Amino acid sequence: MKKILQDSIKGIIPPLVAILLAFLLGGLLMKIAGINPIVAYTSLFKGAFGSNHRIAETIVRAIPLIILALGISIAFKARIWNIGGDGQFTVGAIFAVFVALTFPLPNAILLPLTFIAAFIGGACWGGIAGFVKAKFNANEVITTLMLNYIAFYLLEWLVKGPMMDSNGHGFPQSELINEGLRLPVLLQGTRLHLGLLVAVVLVIGVYMFWRSTLGFKTEIVGQNREVAQYSGIKVNKIIVITMFISAGLAGLAGWNEMFGVHYRLLENISGGYGNLAIVVALLADLNPLGIVVSGFFFAALVTGGNTMQRMEGVPFALVDVIQGLAIIFVISRVVYRRWRDNGARTNNDNGILGKLVSRSGKNERTNSPASNR
Amino acid sequence: MTDIVVTLKNITKTFGTNVANENVTMNLKKGSIHGLLGENGAGKTTLMNILYGLYKPTTGEILLNDQRVDIDNPSKALNLGIGMVHQHFMLVRDFTVVENIVLGQETKKLRFLDLESAAKKIEDLCKKYKMKIDPYAKISQLSVGEQQRVEILSAIYSGANILILDEPTAVLTPQEVKELFQILRLMRDSGKSVIFITHKLEEILEIGDEISVLRDGKLVDTVKTKKTTKQQLTNMMVGRDVLFQFSKAEVKSDKITLKVEGLYCNNDKGLPALQGINLEIKNNEILGIAGVDGNGQKELCEILTGLRSTTDGRIWVCEQEMSDKTPKQFIQDGVAHIPEDRHKTGLVMNFSVMKNCILKEFDTGKFSKAGFLNFKAIRKAAEKIVKDYNVKTSSIEAKVRELSGGNQQKIILGREINCVPKVLIANQPTRGLDIGATEYVRQRLIKQKEQGVAVLLISADLEELIQISDRIAVIYEGKIMGILEREEIDIETIGLLMAGVKGGLVSEEDIAG
Repeated sequence: MKKILQDSIKGIIPPLVAILLAFLLGGLLMKIAGINPIVAYTSLFKGAFGSNHRIAETIVRAIPLIILALGISIAFKARIWNIGGDGQFTVGAIFAVFVALTFPLPNAILLPLTFIAAFIGGACWGGIAGFVKAKFNANEVITTLMLNYIAFYLLEWLVKGPMMDSNGHGFPQSELINEGLRLPVLLQGTRLHLGLLVAVVLVIGVYMFWRSTLGFKTEIVGQNREVAQYSGIKVNKIIVITMFISAGLAGLAGWNEMFGVHYRLLENISGGYGNLAIVVALLADLNPLGIVVSGFFFAALVTGGNTMQRMEGVPFALVDVIQGLAIIFVISRVVYRRWRDNGARTNNDNGILGKLVSRSGKNERTNSPASNR
Repeated sequence: MTDIVVTLKNITKTFGTNVANENVTMNLKKGSIHGLLGENGAGKTTLMNILYGLYKPTTGEILLNDQRVDIDNPSKALNLGIGMVHQHFMLVRDFTVVENIVLGQETKKLRFLDLESAAKKIEDLCKKYKMKIDPYAKISQLSVGEQQRVEILSAIYSGANILILDEPTAVLTPQEVKELFQILRLMRDSGKSVIFITHKLEEILEIGDEISVLRDGKLVDTVKTKKTTKQQLTNMMVGRDVLFQFSKAEVKSDKITLKVEGLYCNNDKGLPALQGINLEIKNNEILGIAGVDGNGQKELCEILTGLRSTTDGRIWVCEQEMSDKTPKQFIQDGVAHIPEDRHKTGLVMNFSVMKNCILKEFDTGKFSKAGFLNFKAIRKAAEKIVKDYNVKTSSIEAKVRELSGGNQQKIILGREINCVPKVLIANQPTRGLDIGATEYVRQRLIKQKEQGVAVLLISADLEELIQISDRIAVIYEGKIMGILEREEIDIETIGLLMAGVKGGLVSEEDIAG
């Protein structure tokens, strides 16, 4: 238990520090631009946490981000660069809403069915990329990205065609799901819905995943495929399974958004959550609890940023600046550590970012002399 | 006036709580080759990285020609005339030799690269040191030995008078070693000083003028090569007498554990690698496989562990047919494997010692329950391996990357033996290990054999094969040239078979041709 706590704290501190530094430097930039950073930040903070309503809005935004980032973290840990979160989210949502609108079943049965459908929808969409990677060694960065576009246009066609709401005055949207299927609101007068609990359960689930033998296999495959084979692991099978789970989680994020917020299919429902979730996962160094922290942070930035722009006239672009700075600080942490250890053979806990930053494995062992020459 | 160019004075270097060098004092003479000898992890490379400016010493000072100097970084070291050739070369593969060499230079004066005059200068240096290097050849076209010469040239080109070589012979063939030694002697005779890091005794006795021995980060002594012996150096390195002889128990059983028949397979390029291998190993013998690297040893190992598929032939383990089974089934049926490359295949370098201890068995009831890892059992097993195999690590949570080669190998050994194998495939199990660890691994292999395991030992080290094998099969171009029984084992016969000369005689085709 103590170990779990230590691990969690270790996972949370780095993103917190990066965020803090990003705010400090962001403030300096504002000062240079002639904006009072204290006023801006106060407004940003108020926008994100100023009232129950605002807090609820932040959480509502954080839920899909966190679930998506959890999914991405699983693929990334296996060194499978699944950047198709948006597409998998979309297909998951389509599957779930389709099931909800099609089958005349009691809600108690239908709701779990939609949940499963969302997982399968997302998982199959990502599974395609996993399968062609395992079978033909197709680069998943390209396939998942391309599948995103297919998913977007599929959704657009559906909401303008077969699934269009006949009473919707021509709006590109599906019918509403029945009220009994909608996730109950947790806090009266806000949009905060039961999806929060689902997210919490999924965080715990992913935490458990890394303690399972399947999670261990995934991790080994991510570290070194040759060792994985040597250990008796079927690498291709793990690649497909990993993509399946990763994308299935993205599908669940879509389910949450449908059944907790929109209650129907609309155009562009993923709204770029997928890309932001990659940043969330990386900022957290793929640690599940870190993902919660960084997910809330980005959700708060977006929610608060809108208010800040409206109230104080500080451009929303500042939010992008702070996001970018946070990432830079996370990466600098890795670089700093390298520099401090100055060629020491160990590269402790650099985590996924360390691997992204590092060059070839050969140089890693003797480390930096190449750059010193 | 003194002929000492560099003095390392009371150098101590610590990494956290880990002491890499403790109070080391060493003198380097002008125009001499100074051997730095020690086991892996003794602190040789750390000490030299301090001299080369890659590390800062925690305490102590460096004197260059009696002047105190602070060497903060390698470019400062180069300015002071100190060059270093690392174990892994720092060359840009797609650049030519001259481009690589100029790359390492100060560009203050050279606004435009004058490659022609640089190439000219390189050619002169080549002539002086009797090297054959085409300045316009791309690095990727050069052999490992030639790349090393480019590194040496690069250091000399930038005016190094002191050259540090880190395990330079580890990657060379015997012929290339000879050439390297010739170059080093020429350098010494022209007044340059060379520090030669190694753990190979024969080499340093051949080339060195003086030898400093490090053990556990401390300087044991510096001796003149002429006044020392192999045995004395070994004792200094290891701190005790080393057993170079092993007793071989008689092979009593005649139960055949591993049998292969008519094995054929292709290599990664799709060319035939094995061409009809027949072997039998009894349940308490060590069968050694001798052969020049690349004659099918790697493929044989991979087939016997399920990692590569055969094009023809059959395999039995304890009379059970294993052909076409998966790596996992091989593991389950009792085939353990010490792979050739522990970094690439045997260990996950970024994982903890603990996790590496269970790579083969994490899926079994031993370490998991209902699909979840049983960390309590894993911890216990890892602690046992660390204790039983005498692995030097700060804890079982430490990353394997942080351990020395010998300790990494002990983890693999412990893990594989803990699987209670029937067959143990050991491919180059002592490559790159120091004397202590080598001896330990060999003893463990013998112990396994005594416990009834069939051991297949593939080694490039003939002495090792002769020491511990009961029989030796010689492989050449994917065929077994001959199997020598214990009383027939003789280094010259093996050598001839390795060269493809059947039965010690020139083959008929050769006569006909």
